Amino acid sequence: MPKVEYAGQIEVSPTAIASIANEAVLTCYGVVGTCAKDLAAGLANVLSPESKRGIDVRIEEGHITVDVYVVVEYGTRIAAVARSVMNVVKYSIERAVSVQVAEVNVHIRGLRVSSID
Amino acid sequence: MAHKKEASPPKNPTANGIDGQEFKHLVKAGLAWLRRHQATINALNVYPVPDGDTGTNMVLTMQSAWEEIADSPERNIGLLAHKVAQGALMGARGNSGVILSQIWRGFARSLDQKPVYHAADLAAAFDEAADTAYQGVTKPVEGTILTVARAVADAAARAVKDTSDLTRVQEHVVFAAHEAVALTPSLLPVLAEAGVVDAGGQGLLVLLEGMLHSMRGEMIADDAELAEVGDLVASAFGPGQAGYGYDVQFLLRGEGLDIDAIRATIAEMGECPLVVGDADVVKVHVHVPDPGVPISYGAGLGSLQDVVVEDMEAQTRDFLAKPGSTPAADEDRKIDVVAVVMGEGLTLLFESLGVGAIVQGGQTMNPSTQDLLDAVESLPASSVILLPNNKNVVLAAQQARDHSQKDVAVVPTRSIPEGIAALLALNRQADLDMNVKAMKRAVKDVETGKVTFATRSAKINDVEVTGGQLIGLHGDELKVSGESPGEVVRNLLKEIGTEDREIVTLYYGDQVTEAEANALAQALSHEWPDLEMEVVFGGQPNYHYFVSVE
Repeated sequence: MPKVEYAGQIEVSPTAIASIANEAVLTCYGVVGTCAKDLAAGLANVLSPESKRGIDVRIEEGHITVDVYVVVEYGTRIAAVARSVMNVVKYSIERAVSVQVAEVNVHIRGLRVSSID
Repeated sequence: MAHKKEASPPKNPTANGIDGQEFKHLVKAGLAWLRRHQATINALNVYPVPDGDTGTNMVLTMQSAWEEIADSPERNIGLLAHKVAQGALMGARGNSGVILSQIWRGFARSLDQKPVYHAADLAAAFDEAADTAYQGVTKPVEGTILTVARAVADAAARAVKDTSDLTRVQEHVVFAAHEAVALTPSLLPVLAEAGVVDAGGQGLLVLLEGMLHSMRGEMIADDAELAEVGDLVASAFGPGQAGYGYDVQFLLRGEGLDIDAIRATIAEMGECPLVVGDADVVKVHVHVPDPGVPISYGAGLGSLQDVVVEDMEAQTRDFLAKPGSTPAADEDRKIDVVAVVMGEGLTLLFESLGVGAIVQGGQTMNPSTQDLLDAVESLPASSVILLPNNKNVVLAAQQARDHSQKDVAVVPTRSIPEGIAALLALNRQADLDMNVKAMKRAVKDVETGKVTFATRSAKINDVEVTGGQLIGLHGDELKVSGESPGEVVRNLLKEIGTEDREIVTLYYGDQVTEAEANALAQALSHEWPDLEMEVVFGGQPNYHYFVSVE
């Protein structure tokens, strides 16, 4: 998004912001992967930590809106995990680019069952 | 127990293992200890988001775990641990709370259906706990509670090779947690920048430490109701007594060291003593007012290594003074609430409903303007709503509003039920004015009754009472009297009127037992079958019941 400086401007692309968000999301406890917005891409892609396809960044009139599509560990409290994702995404983007994040929407696209109690 | 040395504690009280009922004490002590350190842990919170709520989140998570088992008669440790895990899961708050619930989940899974746990079972449970915790994240970050959980598991595995005494194992575990927490800044740069250790790791340490206290038979007063939000240093480091100012650790090398004698001597010196090792090398950790005392003692026994002395109060002051560690007012906490409450149950209730700070007080103990002001200023939020919950406190609240630098509004709640109604109307996304309006509306829908003793004989509103008799107030007006609390509640309901009302909540005070309150509620629902009766522990002094009619 354009940010006016003395001579010229700094532009941070949505892709760059998505990278920041992606990094933050993957270190967020309870999240075991991001996944494609539409599951048509197939389950093979679901657990791919390298991809940024699970992060959707839109910049409109200087406001950043982020949609995050994640897979969460089965057995965690999903609401609490989602809340953490919102906090950490908002915080890390704002810290990195000093622009307010208006919205972070978290979409839980699946649960990973790694162990049954 | 089979261990060779049996000096200072004459017998090992855990020789038969720990069962479900014994474990309940440990959980309770862990929660109490965590609660006492809540404010310090909050102040440490800089990662992943510096919102200063790690301590609160961990307390709420453990509170939920405790509530799940508080009334359970379960003796089977495996089944009880599953309940703890279930409670922690249901109450998990924040990042640290979710991780903590996973730790409990692994712990419980490992104990499965065992009737009791012994040392080896405990080590296995800690191991499974750490594994489960690591499973829950794609990229585990070291220097966090995860690191500490792993260190705890490793220490337990090592300890059970030498001893089967569960208290000793727990000592090793706590010691390892201390070391792991101290290392967190070297693993996670953001902690080093802020000059803090990891808050979640510290929380886990405190929880384990509280359990150890209980295993040693040391009581921890659950001082939830006493913890003043602003009084960080005192609540964190001087539990009850002034001057436990230094955290001292060292490694003592010698020959034929008598570890039990050393442990006993160190324990005399201060708080949180930890002494582990063997005849050749002993690790010592203790909180003392004068660091010279344990160090000279150690030097008299052998050679000292790795001596660490830290001024804990200065650390706390530093945490608070550093801009990096000041909890940032995040989106959720632009608006916060200060409430005046008395009684253990009501304090917990208000906390669970999300008030930022509680000032103790009520009818017989009105808080000062300064108390209220301090509470308002202690919150990170820029806008604060004050709920006085008593008509005698409204004025002090208004004065606090006038003196505060912040945007403060007073919603003049005159009773606990009004305060609760107001709090339920809180919307953190809305601004101060909107909230005040919504809260005032909510308060109008609630009628309050109170049951207490008459302090003197009088005739008011045609009601004649003699000193010591039970009376019922509708709002603040004396309306009815009676011989038993139940009779007064009944008369109050008639006085207040139940037309178009749906819910009656009885907040019972410290003079009433849960069974009495439940029995009353049952009797009342026979008389008023259309009303829903709820019973909530208030623990307030002086008032048998607060009655809310909605």
